[in-house]
Amino acid sequence: MSDFVQAGQMTEAKQALERLRANMRTTIKGKDEVVEQVLVCLVAGGHLLIEDLPGVGKTTLAYSLARSMDCAFSRIQFTSDLLPSDVTGVAIYDETVKEFVFKKGPVFANVVLADEINRATPKTQSALLEVMDRARVTVDGEAHAVGSPFMVFATQNPVDYEGTFPLPESQMDRFLMRLQMGYPQAADELEILRSHRGGYDAIALNPVITRGDVLKLQALAHQVFVEESVLEFILKIIGATRTETEFRAGASVRGGLALRTAAQARALVFGRDFVLPEDVTELVLPILAHRLALARQTSDALEERRAVGAAVSRIVGSIPTPA
Amino acid sequence: MEKKRPQLSLDELHQLKWLLGGGLTLLAVWTVIYMDIDAWELMGVVTVAAIACTLWPTLPARVPPFAHVLAFPLIVAFFAGDLWLTASPLPAMVRLDMLLLLYRSISYRQRRDDLQIIILGLFLIVVAGVLTVSLVFAAQLLVFTAWALAFLLAITLVGTAEGPGVESGKVKNIAPAWAVHADWRRLVRRMREVADWRVLTLGAALFAGVVAVSALLFLAIPRFQLENSLFLERLVTKKAKSGFNDSIKFGDVTDIQQDTSVALSIDVTDRTQLPVSPYWRMLVLDQYENGTFRLSPVLRRVAFGGERTDTIVHGDARPRLGASVVWTFYLESGLSRYLPLLGSFELLRFRETQNFRHGATVGVLALRDEPLTMTAYRVEGFELADARTDPTFSAESRRRERTIQTWLNVSADDHARLDRLVSEITGGAKLSAADFSRRAIAWLRQNHGYSLSPVVPRGAGDPLVRWTASREAGHCELFAGALVLLARDAGFSSRVAIGFRGGTWNGYSNSFTVRNSDAHAWTEVYDPAAGAWLREDALEVPKTAQETETKSEAAIAARSDRSWSARLDSLRIFWYRRIVNFDQRSQIETLREVKNVAQSSSRQLRDAVAETIAGVREWLARPWSLARGAKVAALIAFVAAAIWGTLRHRREIWRMLAKGGVERRDDPVRADASRWLARLRATNIPLEKAETIAVVGELQRLRFGARATWSEPGRTFLRARQALRAERSTRRRINRP
Repeated sequence: MSDFVQAGQMTEAKQALERLRANMRTTIKGKDEVVEQVLVCLVAGGHLLIEDLPGVGKTTLAYSLARSMDCAFSRIQFTSDLLPSDVTGVAIYDETVKEFVFKKGPVFANVVLADEINRATPKTQSALLEVMDRARVTVDGEAHAVGSPFMVFATQNPVDYEGTFPLPESQMDRFLMRLQMGYPQAADELEILRSHRGGYDAIALNPVITRGDVLKLQALAHQVFVEESVLEFILKIIGATRTETEFRAGASVRGGLALRTAAQARALVFGRDFVLPEDVTELVLPILAHRLALARQTSDALEERRAVGAAVSRIVGSIPTPA
Repeated sequence: MEKKRPQLSLDELHQLKWLLGGGLTLLAVWTVIYMDIDAWELMGVVTVAAIACTLWPTLPARVPPFAHVLAFPLIVAFFAGDLWLTASPLPAMVRLDMLLLLYRSISYRQRRDDLQIIILGLFLIVVAGVLTVSLVFAAQLLVFTAWALAFLLAITLVGTAEGPGVESGKVKNIAPAWAVHADWRRLVRRMREVADWRVLTLGAALFAGVVAVSALLFLAIPRFQLENSLFLERLVTKKAKSGFNDSIKFGDVTDIQQDTSVALSIDVTDRTQLPVSPYWRMLVLDQYENGTFRLSPVLRRVAFGGERTDTIVHGDARPRLGASVVWTFYLESGLSRYLPLLGSFELLRFRETQNFRHGATVGVLALRDEPLTMTAYRVEGFELADARTDPTFSAESRRRERTIQTWLNVSADDHARLDRLVSEITGGAKLSAADFSRRAIAWLRQNHGYSLSPVVPRGAGDPLVRWTASREAGHCELFAGALVLLARDAGFSSRVAIGFRGGTWNGYSNSFTVRNSDAHAWTEVYDPAAGAWLREDALEVPKTAQETETKSEAAIAARSDRSWSARLDSLRIFWYRRIVNFDQRSQIETLREVKNVAQSSSRQLRDAVAETIAGVREWLARPWSLARGAKVAALIAFVAAAIWGTLRHRREIWRMLAKGGVERRDDPVRADASRWLARLRATNIPLEKAETIAVVGELQRLRFGARATWSEPGRTFLRARQALRAERSTRRRINRP
């Protein structure tokens, strides 16, 4: 890589990320790690799937991020009767101009919250494939670019599967990360209880960075240096998932690229212009776990996640870390 | 950043332990191959079962539960029945041991069962060692030791990983999880990932240490005469694998000739004394009957004295002045109780006390039993001659008592047939024994070719006479027997001698090697005029004048064997001489050799140092001129500059050598940075001081950052050193009471 991060750029990036981090922490209590990972996902230019029980702050997290940036935010509540055009938009006939005019759907925003994504039919879920991959929507043969930056915040409940449609592997592969929020610590929850907030619409956050800042951060992340031994480390991890008999199939090439990009983003989030092996090890689980499916049947989704997590951890533990 | 070493999971450790246990079982039961105990079928069963259950670890779950209940009583019953039927305790114990190993290999094992496998395997190895003392045993013992150490390590690791109180393998008929998910390819791959050269080196060093300590103990501990203490030998029914016995049927010697293994190995203090074509004579057979030569009861009674128990045998050769040549024989086990000899001797000394009978007049020395381990004996003062005087026989002949059989013992028809053949050979002339033998040999060689697959013509009468009268090819026994019959028909006393002829010089062990394929039979014809038995070999290639000179280095060199089999033989010889037969005398000799080598090395070192010092002094004492001084100073300056430059700029030099800035893992800067990071991590210093945090950041940049963004590496490493010292001193201050 010939183009390295300059000191001035690094300083600006640190300041921007610090502002963003501090702003989000005012609403997201006791979830610093999750906030860090959301920032990593943002800087890496990826999409995020948050799996957790209802009411643990998934939507608030997405909203906080969107509000902290000077970005357009939209929320789509996925239901079984939601149509693809409800997501992407539809071309309707405009009598005044005597032609079809494209009416943009809620996906035309910078941060899109796809709430309970697995409640929509596979057809509607697939409407997100193109936009998540190329940041554009094609309707009637015409491509329409969505916002830039563009980030999908999808949520789903891992326990209640009644009336849901599991996301296909191709869709899962398009999410950079899968995170769990988890319950907050008692002290943090007490602080939440003390607050008098009424729903996420009441969250009063001022934007601390612009869309341009986000795009700069994303461009800067690609310039973060990855040393050869770290690349080999990533390669070994990806290779090990492909030979692990416990998985039906190993991680894809996109999975490997995602791990590298996310590691670069994490290095930037932590104020470094080079990747450490720990950037990789910390991200292996959120980056790879949702891309891997067990070869054997498990009793439920939670059990499968635990088994996949254990196998991935074992793989990481079995590969020598560059030192 | 914490460096994680890859480790095997508990399931993988279980799998490894299972594999090592199966391997140990196989190693142990395969001792039967060379132990000469009737357990081949059982060995096959154990081998198949152990391999199958090891490769498919779910198989033991299919063994019905009642089998586990009945296993122990059945095994005990089998042992009792075996002992009662065979009345041979040791083989029965070996079979019992194998049955227990079989049971252990087809059932899931707890820790104590794994340890049982080691004990049971060790029993088989020890028994095999005591009974055979072979080189295979030595190799197997080494492999077994290494394998058992690895097995013990696996047992310990499993125990540690499982924690106290938890142990798998308690339920015999349910496959544990590790067995269900066992995948050997994955285990191999994981082993390769986990294998670390440091661990492997440490393991190899530990094993080498165990072997070295064992070797030192072997050399140093006092020697005991163990031959009477090893009771195990007595528990086996003794039998020889082949043999030169009192009775030889035609084909017996030929059968031995098919075997190319070593039969006899000889050390000689003066190798020029080796005959070009040595005859290692073991026994003479004088009584003939229908195709079989045997030692007649008369000769046995007359020639052999009573049995003696001693370490020394005095021969009938006359002592000579000067140092006599010493021949040390190492006779392989199970070959014969008759010891090969080159001729009459002055003195024969056994390594251990032996029960033997010595027939001095016939030149035969017989032990009471066929030895089952290698027999070593030392002979001094051999009389190497083609003729062997026999005053006893001479006296007997004069008294015409014919104690030594010379009759033909064939039918009248065969007698007449032999008469005709003898007439054909002699042409009616009256010949001496030597002349007759020469003509008879020429006649036999003219009429018969050599073949290891002879055809004896069908018909009535004696088979040997039929062959003699035919023109069929034959082997040494037929030629020797035919010559005996012809000579006896002509009126000369004659007999068959058996043993070995020839051999090769092993260039690696500096010893003479005689193989079973050198087994040979020849004829001895009594010459009344000389009063001696003449050695007449119908198959001997006529000697040239030069070859008759026995002291020929060139002849030995021509027979020198430097093949791979000779290397292996030399290894076996080393094993038997230096290890198996390592007694107190060998111990003293070895220690003396070590002392001599140490003294001579120390002397050489002292001489070399003294010589070097003298050279330097002489060089310094030479007249110094300005030009010479300048040359020396320039040389010293050049060397110093080269050393300094290399040390100072080694990183830059390396970068220059590195191709086009391609990142390489062995970049010295990255390697140094990695080492410094490891040192800082090893101190477990909490990164509190700003300077330390900054240094760690810089080191991480040197290790993982882009080269263009590096600060000066040397300075960073210096800061790292200072930070490390500062942190350590702070810690010492805090810890000080």
